[in-house]
Amino acid sequence: MQYEFEEILETIRMTEIEHFDIRTVTMGISLRDCSDRNIKVTCQKIYDKIIRYGKNHVKYAKEIEAQYGISIANKRVSVTPISIPFDSCKEEEFVEIARTLDKAAADIGIDYIAGYSALVQKGMTNGERELINSIPLALASTKRVCSSVNVASTKTGINIDAVRLMAEAIKKTAELTKDHDSIGCAKLVVFANAVEDNPFVAGAFHGVSEPEVVLNVGISGPGVVLDAIREAGRVDLQQLAEVIKKTIFKITRAGELIGRKVAEKNGIPFGIVDISLAPTPAEGDSIGDILKAMGLEDVGAPGTTAALAMLNDAVKKAGLMASSSVGGLSGAFIPVSEDMGMIRAVQNGNLTLEKLEAMTAVCSVGLDMIAIPGDTPVETIAGIIADESAIGVINDKTTAVRIIPAFGKVVGDFVDYGGLLGKAPVMEVKKLCSSGFINRGGRIPAPMRSLTN
Amino acid sequence: MKITEDIIRKITLETIEELGLGATKDEIKNAVRSKIETMNVDNIDLKNKSLDSGRVILTSFGLNKPGIVAAVTKALAENGCDILDLSQKIMGDFFTMIMIIDITASPKDLSEVQSEMQKVAEDLKIKIYLQHEDVFRFMHRI
Repeated sequence: MQYEFEEILETIRMTEIEHFDIRTVTMGISLRDCSDRNIKVTCQKIYDKIIRYGKNHVKYAKEIEAQYGISIANKRVSVTPISIPFDSCKEEEFVEIARTLDKAAADIGIDYIAGYSALVQKGMTNGERELINSIPLALASTKRVCSSVNVASTKTGINIDAVRLMAEAIKKTAELTKDHDSIGCAKLVVFANAVEDNPFVAGAFHGVSEPEVVLNVGISGPGVVLDAIREAGRVDLQQLAEVIKKTIFKITRAGELIGRKVAEKNGIPFGIVDISLAPTPAEGDSIGDILKAMGLEDVGAPGTTAALAMLNDAVKKAGLMASSSVGGLSGAFIPVSEDMGMIRAVQNGNLTLEKLEAMTAVCSVGLDMIAIPGDTPVETIAGIIADESAIGVINDKTTAVRIIPAFGKVVGDFVDYGGLLGKAPVMEVKKLCSSGFINRGGRIPAPMRSLTN
Repeated sequence: MKITEDIIRKITLETIEELGLGATKDEIKNAVRSKIETMNVDNIDLKNKSLDSGRVILTSFGLNKPGIVAAVTKALAENGCDILDLSQKIMGDFFTMIMIIDITASPKDLSEVQSEMQKVAEDLKIKIYLQHEDVFRFMHRI
């Protein structure tokens, strides 16, 4: 046979038993030509453009799923960071734009649209400040809109004024969506070194260097890696890294095929394949379980950071071999609410916020889907964001914070969103005060490594 | 041979160019027919690299019993699918069968063939999957 019997069975096992799927095909659409002095005209242009490009997005993705036998879990859209083309808008006008994005997303049949964003790593325009101030109400009055703000970069340092502003926005969003376990915060990401071609919402946006429209794909596959590790049995770490690499290579190849075919069907350019291992709450689809299969008693044990570093490194090496179009965030995700292994580790008291932070130094993408007590002070949240940004800025990598100060909840309680967002136990946060530091304001200067000329 | 939209468009443009705007219906019909007959397959491959092969991998497994191969191949024949290769393994009570088939000559597209084979799978109480071969080529070949 042209294909070995075992090769075909391996692929079938990946898709049918090990939950290999394409996590997302995300269409990036530029809205830079939609600005008008009249907000109603602006909103109409935005709506029309998203519908024009996106109307067949779901249909075509489903056709490709059927043809190749690989599920595509999410069909989504990202847009130009809204603050950029609409910088003359005021707060209430930005909220109107958010509602327009929400309606367009509903009408093309997708669950999330990302890009309600601002990039303020060095300073902010008046429009950017208005957009940031509008985030709580925008997220509270929409279902599908996702927001992100870049507050730091290796080139510019950390904008602490923006960090504090975002901590306030997060607290306000938690309060305004308290009737749904503060779900607005699950759609709000604060970045350092945000990337322009991220296909994974909530932090996606269509960067200004991207083309008019593009199709990016994010793969997945923790279940496939987990089974490969278990099957490898007792081998040394070098061999284990090799096993992981070979597995990631194959699923990256499949991911790129799917992405290119969906792009082709839409008649738009293919952009990147993001090779991140993104877990879901489903059994067997857990990064936490991978780390345990590597030999840790539980996530949070000494050795966890090292194991994750090796996993992430193997993912990157395999991805680069498999594709010339690797981009986005590309690494292992360690969200608490979306990974059953992580949830259990937190519940068992084995995984702390501090250990999670250490882990983010060696993986993508940062502190993700972490629920904390609702009464956590603004300055404490700002301190968490500043710490995470520092890891990104100093190491020239992307880090993010998607954190949920669950309104009215305390350590041991849960937030539960169902579906892919999952549920998260409320984690303990140090009660030491950071307000003196945060309230100094200003910008933490860029690090030495920013001088690359 | 499957005629893609690209090929149709190409033939149309060439025909119009040759015959001019005053051509009658019959002239157009004859020109198109002769163009299709003389079309070179290699040209198609070179100019339409995105033309997908019609090769599909059928994978089937379940509890072994008489008549499975016969039922599957009969259904494939009825749907105009050409079997290029077939391999089967039996392990205890279970069988696994893999076929490489070509659906180019079939009047049905892949999703329709998938639906038909799903009925066979339900009748026989086995699993049948059909996937375009590119999945396997991309994953297992560089």
